[in-house]
Amino acid sequence: MSGVTPGAFAADRGLASCHCCGKLSPVELGRCPRCATPLHLRKPHSLTRTWALLVAAAVFYIPAMSLPVMRISGIGGGEESTILSGVVTFWQTGSYPVAIIIFTASVLIPILKVIALVWLCLAASGRASGSSRSLALTYHITELVGRWSMVDVFVVAILACLVQLGSVMTITPGPAALSFAAVVILTMFSAMSFDPRLLWDQRRNVRIPTH
Amino acid sequence: MKRHHPGLSWPRADPDERTACHFCDAVQPAPRLREGEVARCGNCDEVLYQNRPRSLSRATGFALAAVVFTILAHSFPFLTMQAASERTELGLVAAAEALFADGDPLLALLSVLFTIVAPTLLTAGLLYLVMPLIYGRALPGATAIARLIQRSEPWSMLEVFLLGFIVSLLKLGHLAEIEFHIGLWALVALVVCLAGAMGGIDRRELWDRLEIARMSGPDTKPEPAAE
Ligand SMILES: [Zn+2]
Ligand SMILES: [Zn+2]
Repeated sequence: MSGVTPGAFAADRGLASCHCCGKLSPVELGRCPRCATPLHLRKPHSLTRTWALLVAAAVFYIPAMSLPVMRISGIGGGEESTILSGVVTFWQTGSYPVAIIIFTASVLIPILKVIALVWLCLAASGRASGSSRSLALTYHITELVGRWSMVDVFVVAILACLVQLGSVMTITPGPAALSFAAVVILTMFSAMSFDPRLLWDQRRNVRIPTH
Repeated sequence: MKRHHPGLSWPRADPDERTACHFCDAVQPAPRLREGEVARCGNCDEVLYQNRPRSLSRATGFALAAVVFTILAHSFPFLTMQAASERTELGLVAAAEALFADGDPLLALLSVLFTIVAPTLLTAGLLYLVMPLIYGRALPGATAIARLIQRSEPWSMLEVFLLGFIVSLLKLGHLAEIEFHIGLWALVALVVCLAGAMGGIDRRELWDRLEIARMSGPDTKPEPAAE
């Protein structure tokens, strides 16, 4: 925290940096003079939105894990596979790389991402602590890694496209595929609505209105 | 002007510009950087902005190549699969079509957005924006395009699709006879070019250049760091 004097923070002077182009302007202008994006000292209702989207993502995670992600129909009748049963099958048949990729992308990343965002939200409202370095790292990883969870949805799309062998074997997407896409999209929006500057406001013990 | 200071190629409308860290909100001066330099926050050490070498020509080059690879990736299938006397083809459109035909129109729509619309918007938007900026010009609607590029960036998921493709291959490997086509190599190249195009230019640099191009108007020479 060296080198920064009180009042050195933009919000204390009524300056807002544009969410879109980064230009620093007085918040009274209402809109960024450079790109016309509405100006806010902090992202509006950041914590409420992040929490709400997180809860929604957690709700969709239940059908995403319990319902079948794809249906395999063929001569030997039909078969449904969930994300987890798919991982188990791959592991048992010795396809360790596929099992690990799917488990990481579909199970590990979404859960860790939700935990990370919960921790960030708690830290931003003063109910959890953490060093600024580890919080910053968590925030960046959360931003970067979320999209990779979509890999399972694409696998279903690719298999549904390729495996259309009439009566022999056909793969169709199951209801979990859409639920899972919803989980990924909701957590991405959740991470986007989190404002990391709230972590520093908490550290400095100031409260900037977020509307 | 920049010809006399080749290192300081990043023009700025207001030479005394200050910036606030997007991470901690600390206000600090935002000097122009030499190519290759990075400005970090004095409070939290986040990257504030950076001047990437030859940013405009790099972004333009990658975006132009991305156009070619987009066309190729859409004109040729990624692979054909031969099994049980049936032959199927895979492409970006075909994958979305399969989802639609299997009764999942919403998933098909998302697939189209993430693998076709967002990457194409990024490529076309970058070209429209960055190529004229090399000559200090901004085409009509450039500001809206710049905002659009920024909005669609996180939703362009071709590289994730590519990972899904590899996983699917590992899954199918023993089931069928698989033949790769030009479309696949075009897709790989497109992923590389998009990453290069987006990584080639700093967000603030793009906006600074755009601001100057718009101030100097369509028929006047750009005047970087006007005072
Ligand atoms: Zn702006
Ligand atoms: Zn900072």
